[in-house]
Amino acid sequence: MFSRELKKGSTELLVLSLLEAGPRHGYDVGKSIERRSGGRLRLRIASLYPMLVRLENRDLIRGRWIERPGERRRRYYRLTPEGRKVLARERATWKEFMAAVNAVVGHGHA
Amino acid sequence: MHDFRRFVRERLSLPRLRAGREAEIVEDLAQQLEDCYSSAIDRGASEEEAVAAAQREIPDWDALAREIAASEARDRTPLDVRAADHLDTRAASHADAGGGGPLRFLSEAAADALHGVRLFLKRPGFTAAVVVTLALGIGASTAMFTILNAVLLRPLPYPESDRLVRVWESNPGRGMAKFGVSQPNFLDWREQGTTAFERLAATQSRPQNLGGSGGLEAERIRTLAVTRDFFPLLGVRPVLGRDFLPEEDAPGQGEAVAVVTRGLWQRRFGGDPALVGRTIVLDEVPTTVLGIVPEFHWGEYEAFVPLRPDPAGNRADHRLGVYGRLKPGATLEQARAELIGIAARLAGQYPASNEGWTVALAGFFDWAVPEESRRGLSLLLGAVGLVLVIACANVAGLLLARAAGRGREIAIRASIGASRARLVRQLLVESILLACTGGALGLLAAHWGVGALAAAAADALPRADEITLDARVVLFTAGLSILTGLLFGLAPALHATRVDVQRTLKEGTAGGGGGRQRARSALVVSEVALSLVLLFAVGLLLRSLAVLVEVPPGFDTQNLLTASLTLPDSRYPSMKEFTAFRERLLGRLDGLPGVVSASVASGLPMDGNGTMMEVYPEGGAVREDGPAPSAQWRMVSPGYFHTLGIPLLRGRDLDDRDLTPEGQLAGVVVSEALVKQCWPGQDPIGRQFHPWSTKNPPATIVGLAGDVRLFSPDQDPGPAVYLLYGRWNPMQIAVRTQGDPMALAGVLRAEVRGIDPGVPVAQVRTMEDLFDTTTAPRRFTMALLAAFAGAALILSAIGLFGLLAYLVTQRTHDIGVRLALGARRRDILGLVVGRAMLLTWIGIGAGLAGALAITGWIRSLLFGVGPRDPLTLAATAAVIAVTALLACWIPARRAARIDPIEALRYE
Repeated sequence: MFSRELKKGSTELLVLSLLEAGPRHGYDVGKSIERRSGGRLRLRIASLYPMLVRLENRDLIRGRWIERPGERRRRYYRLTPEGRKVLARERATWKEFMAAVNAVVGHGHA
Repeated sequence: MHDFRRFVRERLSLPRLRAGREAEIVEDLAQQLEDCYSSAIDRGASEEEAVAAAQREIPDWDALAREIAASEARDRTPLDVRAADHLDTRAASHADAGGGGPLRFLSEAAADALHGVRLFLKRPGFTAAVVVTLALGIGASTAMFTILNAVLLRPLPYPESDRLVRVWESNPGRGMAKFGVSQPNFLDWREQGTTAFERLAATQSRPQNLGGSGGLEAERIRTLAVTRDFFPLLGVRPVLGRDFLPEEDAPGQGEAVAVVTRGLWQRRFGGDPALVGRTIVLDEVPTTVLGIVPEFHWGEYEAFVPLRPDPAGNRADHRLGVYGRLKPGATLEQARAELIGIAARLAGQYPASNEGWTVALAGFFDWAVPEESRRGLSLLLGAVGLVLVIACANVAGLLLARAAGRGREIAIRASIGASRARLVRQLLVESILLACTGGALGLLAAHWGVGALAAAAADALPRADEITLDARVVLFTAGLSILTGLLFGLAPALHATRVDVQRTLKEGTAGGGGGRQRARSALVVSEVALSLVLLFAVGLLLRSLAVLVEVPPGFDTQNLLTASLTLPDSRYPSMKEFTAFRERLLGRLDGLPGVVSASVASGLPMDGNGTMMEVYPEGGAVREDGPAPSAQWRMVSPGYFHTLGIPLLRGRDLDDRDLTPEGQLAGVVVSEALVKQCWPGQDPIGRQFHPWSTKNPPATIVGLAGDVRLFSPDQDPGPAVYLLYGRWNPMQIAVRTQGDPMALAGVLRAEVRGIDPGVPVAQVRTMEDLFDTTTAPRRFTMALLAAFAGAALILSAIGLFGLLAYLVTQRTHDIGVRLALGARRRDILGLVVGRAMLLTWIGIGAGLAGALAITGWIRSLLFGVGPRDPLTLAATAAVIAVTALLACWIPARRAARIDPIEALRYE
């Protein structure tokens, strides 16, 4: 749908944004992104999982095994305080970037 | 239901990731795939469609593994990987630039070395452990080689020393293989033996009293009487003045002349160059100093006087040491043949004195460095080699363990195109770097230790004064270091690089880990085996020494002070003066507090001097055709047996009746061994024999003394004959004391000075010291061997400890499961200890085989204990087993304390 490069650059922001609301397990992260983007953004486990590992190793998110009644044990990822800061920073950068891109792209169309 | 965990496990391999972390990732991924599968089922997909949907989520497992590995690695070991990337890029760019051949090889090797240094600095603990282990092994080897180099490898310090030979008279019929040479015989050799010999020279030790002057007391110095060829033969040139002219060595009463060593010149005369040409007093005779010679490693002689051999002298009086320099091109065999021919002619010419006598020759080196020294040294070199091998095994074990941490780096480098040869080379460069660092430290240690080593070897080894580090030692250490690096580095390097990326990813950690553990176990087993061999050798030597010091020498070695003095001919021309001096001295000493008794003798047990006589019994049980029995003889003062604690078994002590004023033997005391040989089962008292020759009037046996070991505790006591002290230089003094013998040393000197201030007392020492010098070579070999065995034992224990600690970490989960399933702590303890002891017993078994294989080597160094002594073997095995138990104690306890909940949380 979108080019690989475009997705790759923004995956980190997508994952962090999604976890801002609360902990989610790995498959749920991917599904939620797909759902919220109306099916336009689809991340396979193969791309999403290394991102989770990377973010966890950078201490931006934290995974924990949680067993809910009637469910199997799953690993839930939550945002760390450090992750929250990084998210805020990246979100601001992203908005600025989008605004700049829109300004250029919008002018072109206008 | 599809087993996604197994599905993931079969496809994803994360080598070198912590086991717990890998399990976590597998579990997480499996769960996500299962979620994917479930949601497909929920949407109404068939079983196959749902599995296919899950599989589509991860199209390329290897890529995923790499990405996860990179993500994990980035934060844990970023430097390794980045440096490795950098390295290969650089190597590649060199290749691109056309810098092939040796230049490229060198630049790559340098890059490898740099990379290695960076890695080592990052892991100081590991690096220190390896370097210290290697420094220990290489240092010990270097020290040992330093000794070996000085004693065995370096030529003797004389020009063209391979042309120098030692010559003896030899009488095989009488069991005298190498004996002194008589003066007329020497002169005949020198005159006639001109085909093979360039020169022949003779020497005779002749301690002299150097008269006091300028406030200095008289002192006894070691003087060697030498013939005119002595200095030119050895190639020793005076640093000042000259050596002897032929006419100064002519028989008769020539002018008294001497050559002194630089040491004496500086010690006694302050290095005054005017000493040459001046007169010093030697044995009360004014003697002109002709020249000063440098020290040249020839005993501890400080002065040399002409020997003046007498052609009319007694051919049966064998006292000279003879040395020869062969003509260039002449062989030892030619020289031997020539001298044997001359000896045969002389035997025909002078049958009374020369019948049965021939000659024996040896190269200087074989004489100076006797066979026992060589055997001892090669044993020690072998031992130190084993220590080094054990150190290598330990380091190899450490490297194997570390290979676990290196796998990621290696896999990544391999994946970006580094060849296996390139990777092996990099690892080897690192090993050699480690080994050379260890070697440098070892060399430094050897440099510091070599002085102590030479001092310790002084009594034990020939040429100990020549032990120094030289270029050859440094070269040896460098070569050894590189070899060591290859030895311990090759196996781990091949092992670590065997994993191509694909296989690593598929195999996971468990399989590779198993191989590594097997390799490490094998290393530990060999370490234990080698340690056992070393320890066993030490045990045998230790028991030999214990047996040796327990051997009753036949006299009491404790509280016995010994000393030596020489009475000058000028004032003590006959037996009368000697007897007067002796009686005065012993009378004074006997009255002193702290003195039990005092005696004099021509030689004391263990002082290394021997004097032989033939015994021709009258009516004895000796075969007519065989050679006459020979015996050691000593002149002793009355009371000698009491002073030394030698039992007088029958008859009486010697007294004034036993020697006529003309020096004629009347009564003698003999030892049991002589009686056993000449009058077996009979009462010897009153029996007679002719001493030295049947022409001499017979002496009567008046007393029977116990046997004494005269030369060393490991030599059986031979027959001995004791005569009354007449006139003999030097006079040996023995004082039995109540307390510490050395406390009386000053008093002894003062008493002698009180009788005759011109007679200095020399060689004041206790009998125990004298005794110790006879066992010095044994103790030296044993002490070094013990040090090596100790190092081997410690290294093996560390090796075992390291392996077990690693094993316990690796099997934490397994142990956790066992605990969770109800295993008791004791069982876990038993599990680890059992594993350790299994390895140890295998090692002990292999070691026993090795220990039995060295019996041939070590047999000649033993005394009173067999080379397969079961008690020593058992004790050695016990020491090893106990050490192994100690080594596994900490890992075992750690295993037993594992918290099952913590351990299981890993997976």
